[in-house]
Amino acid sequence: MKATILKLPRWMRQIGWRTVVGAALLAGIVHITATLAVPLLGPGNAFRKLQDTLPANQMVFLPPPTPTTQLLPFVAADALYAACRFDLASGSLAVSAVLSDPGWTLSLHTPQGDNFYVMPAQQLRRSEVSFVVTPASERLVDFGPRRVSGDDSQIESPVTQGLVLLRAPLRGLAWRAETEAKLRRASCTPVAPKR
Amino acid sequence: MNIVGSFLINVAAFLVLAIGGGLGTAWYMMDTGSRLSTRTLGPWVTWTTAGRPDADPYTRAHTSRNALLPISSTLELTYVASTDSNGGRLHSACEYAIVMEDPEIAWWGIAAFDGRGNLITNTAERHAFNSETVMREPNGHAVITLARDARAGNWLPIGGGSRITLVLTVQDAAWAAASVERGAPKPLPEIQRVACR
Repeated sequence: MKATILKLPRWMRQIGWRTVVGAALLAGIVHITATLAVPLLGPGNAFRKLQDTLPANQMVFLPPPTPTTQLLPFVAADALYAACRFDLASGSLAVSAVLSDPGWTLSLHTPQGDNFYVMPAQQLRRSEVSFVVTPASERLVDFGPRRVSGDDSQIESPVTQGLVLLRAPLRGLAWRAETEAKLRRASCTPVAPKR
Repeated sequence: MNIVGSFLINVAAFLVLAIGGGLGTAWYMMDTGSRLSTRTLGPWVTWTTAGRPDADPYTRAHTSRNALLPISSTLELTYVASTDSNGGRLHSACEYAIVMEDPEIAWWGIAAFDGRGNLITNTAERHAFNSETVMREPNGHAVITLARDARAGNWLPIGGGSRITLVLTVQDAAWAAASVERGAPKPLPEIQRVACR
């Protein structure tokens, strides 16, 4: 043990144990702060990258991913995508889409990327889906989500802003036009409340 | 050494350890992950709570920092590989074979990217296969070949002279549920290096 200590450079032996313990404590604080801050302050999340491309509350057919048109990293190019940047500040949002084949998904994400709702295509379910996204804060006022329609399902959003993403894997080039046509039928529109 | 020198050394050590250590470990946990947030199955790594609102802070930071939009891991799991099954770094100078043996999975897709998640430019304009587009052997297996030059069958071009990252997406609620318990219901495909230039 003594021999090991003697091998340390002289400047290193000047570092006191209080310095090491204090630094370790501060390192822990820096570690936790950095980890929690990245989703909130980091400039590179998907929402921020798509914000300029997507007008609010409007479904947009995204350009097929290629090396020159790829909007986000690790986005598979064997699928077509449509997305809607929602803003529930002025009310609810009606979303409708067709989920026709295995692998198709309709997902709702927070700006940090959390997926708070997802609907996959399923063989034993009708392919047309529609629902209304309502702000969670409406619960405080109405003791329940405001119903905008008697027919539509309602999804409570934990955030005011976020993304709706519709992913349609291609079954082959021959299906490309058909897949694109189905994606273009998807919609994302603000709805006026009916009481 | 005098008192001033000793003080300065302690201040420098304090700052290096506190800031460097804090940021360095945070970056490692967000970028590479650990057993707290990831599960490793051969060369494949998955962030176990990706996409879920109750995801751990490291997974949320990883998702946000890499501009990902993962589907909840209760439905879909994404496995990322940057090495082959023998631990060698995936590189476009090599050729690899992957055998998919799971025809019962509801839907799967496998895609190749460079080390930063960008699609790899290739004249075939092919970047991925999925369970609908892949050509299968008579036994239901699918052999996918990653190579710079054209290969027969399911050829996934990986030119460009760079590191390669493979992303395997499995969309199957039963698979996802079983994965929570024991990693993966069936072994994930091996990535075999065939040759290197």
